[in-house]
Amino acid sequence: MWKRLLVLGFTFALSSTLAAQKIGVINTMTGGEAPIGENITNGIKLAEEDLKKRGFPLTLVWEDDTGKAQISMSAMEKLASRDQVIGVVGPYTSACANAVAKRAEQYKVPLLVPAAAKEEITRQGLKYVFRMNAPADKYASSLIDAALALGKPRSIAFIYENSDFGTSTTATAKTYVASKGIQVVADEPYPKMNADYRSTLAKIKSKNPDLVFMVSYVADAILIMRQAKEVGLQPQAFLGGGAGFTTVEFARETASSSVFSCTQWTDDVSWPGAKDFGKRYRAKFGKEPTYHAACAYESMMIMAGVARDAGGNRDKLREGLKNGKWSGIMGDVKFADFDGFTNQNAHQMLVQQLQGGAYETVFPKQFATKPSVYPFPKWK
Amino acid sequence: MSIFLYSLISGILTGGVYALIGIGLTLIFGVMRIINFAHGDLMMLGMYGTYLLSTFLGVDPFVSVLLVFPAMFLFGGLLQKALINRMLTSVAQNQILLTIGLGLILSNTVMLIFTSDYKTVTTSYASSTLKLSENVSVSAPLLVAFSITAAITAGLYWFLQKTDTGQAIRATAQDRDAARLMGINVSRMSILAFGLGSALAGTAGALLMPTTYTFPQIGSVFTLKAFVITVLGGMGSVVGATLGGILIGIAESLSAVYISSGWKDVAVFVLFLLVLLFKPSGLLGKSRT
Repeated sequence: MWKRLLVLGFTFALSSTLAAQKIGVINTMTGGEAPIGENITNGIKLAEEDLKKRGFPLTLVWEDDTGKAQISMSAMEKLASRDQVIGVVGPYTSACANAVAKRAEQYKVPLLVPAAAKEEITRQGLKYVFRMNAPADKYASSLIDAALALGKPRSIAFIYENSDFGTSTTATAKTYVASKGIQVVADEPYPKMNADYRSTLAKIKSKNPDLVFMVSYVADAILIMRQAKEVGLQPQAFLGGGAGFTTVEFARETASSSVFSCTQWTDDVSWPGAKDFGKRYRAKFGKEPTYHAACAYESMMIMAGVARDAGGNRDKLREGLKNGKWSGIMGDVKFADFDGFTNQNAHQMLVQQLQGGAYETVFPKQFATKPSVYPFPKWK
Repeated sequence: MSIFLYSLISGILTGGVYALIGIGLTLIFGVMRIINFAHGDLMMLGMYGTYLLSTFLGVDPFVSVLLVFPAMFLFGGLLQKALINRMLTSVAQNQILLTIGLGLILSNTVMLIFTSDYKTVTTSYASSTLKLSENVSVSAPLLVAFSITAAITAGLYWFLQKTDTGQAIRATAQDRDAARLMGINVSRMSILAFGLGSALAGTAGALLMPTTYTFPQIGSVFTLKAFVITVLGGMGSVVGATLGGILIGIAESLSAVYISSGWKDVAVFVLFLLVLLFKPSGLLGKSRT
């Protein structure tokens, strides 16, 4: 009898310390950005499933920030003080992640940002903020490097959403093209949910650029390509800077064919478990996995793994993240300090092109699955 | 020059469809003095209706108007009868809460059913154009949408001016109590007005589908747009809303070319403020006391 009681008491004591290891998730689950946020939710759910299978005691506390920075910040405050989480994975958008990063530092809660692109997030010396994905400057430079490897572009036009993500990606792209001697002939930020780009695209067409660089979320990405076809914009290449240009919805469009985009992840890359993740994701959610899902999955796996060993101590968790090294569906992960970044994973970006409705990796060469189509074929 | 012409034409065409949304809102406001904050969400329902018809039954988005219009008319009438009619005599903030709440329920129900994914319909003519001259071409689906809008607006104008029911609706808008004393069934007119308003919003949604996308939260963007159009044109004026819609379309389009697309909302709101400053009742509005 006393043995049983002892076991019971022991389990009780153990489970209470483990239950204290709650991990917070801040994500955009409703609002305009929710379609992409959903991928992050799914990625984390898959991670949760895998962790539970491996016997990790995991309690996730979910917070929806609706894509607004102020709600995201209060979610962080709530997680840090009321829910007493050990660490937080999220938020999704750059604006939210950047606002939350400062709060995380203030509360000394390790924050692992899975898929926000703005450079500043990990470029302000915050010790508690880590980032899985490559920041915005890599989006631009990997695409422009690919274009330079394929042809001799001399001019470039920018059309981008005037959000944190859009402007920061474009700003770094501008610095990068300046260093490569490519001339900027048009610079067109647009407000979100705009739905009519005809005039802007007609203006860009009149400048006759060799490259058109776009930064948009999914719906706008689709419309921009449809309307570019309508207007007859004919550059050597369309470069889609992340987010909307790497989605299944975008790939379905006929007007999207031959658009280059860059991504943090695809399931045909040779990183361990990537293929299997894609297969399981499709089976579970009936959708193609996006890089957001993969980033979120790997972020949660790492966060939970380190949190288990940290024993509820936030500083131990921070040290664990800082000193650890992982290899998984996102390739090799290490949070390092370089080029002014702190706790930034030096992630390898992949450049892909839509060919026959499918994303084919075309750059860098060692990951290429198909040769690229260049210059952009004439509109029919 | 060709850019100017191009953006002017595409501004007018887009503005025409905006006008349809504005007309619905202005009609509802005119008859009931209620600002329908769920108007954009009703348009969103029309978009999803078209999306369903086109994706699962293969109905062309433009043909789907024939189904969306009556369906949205019935739905709007039902909303009026079941909910809005009860609130007509309550204070303005309660009416606002009702329509805002209605909008939230609509958009979140749609999100529950369809998830928050962006939906687009695929047509063979999505990016097809009509060449006007060497350098100026216009979007064919937008042109068709504009033509249908023009036809509907003309039909509506005729209905309001010439038919007995139309006159009764206008009488209700002018003076609810006097209309009632003249033997007009005022609550029936309200149902008609809200039904028509919803049908117009839904139709605008259907017409926009071939050239744009939809998602459950798209309504709020268009509610604001419709509101600006309505106030700009003069609250309660159908012709004013048409004019307002086209003006907004042109302002957006031209400012995107000559200032920057990031500033086009600023251009629209500056125009809005200027009109309010010099003609507070709107372009064609009669001031009421």
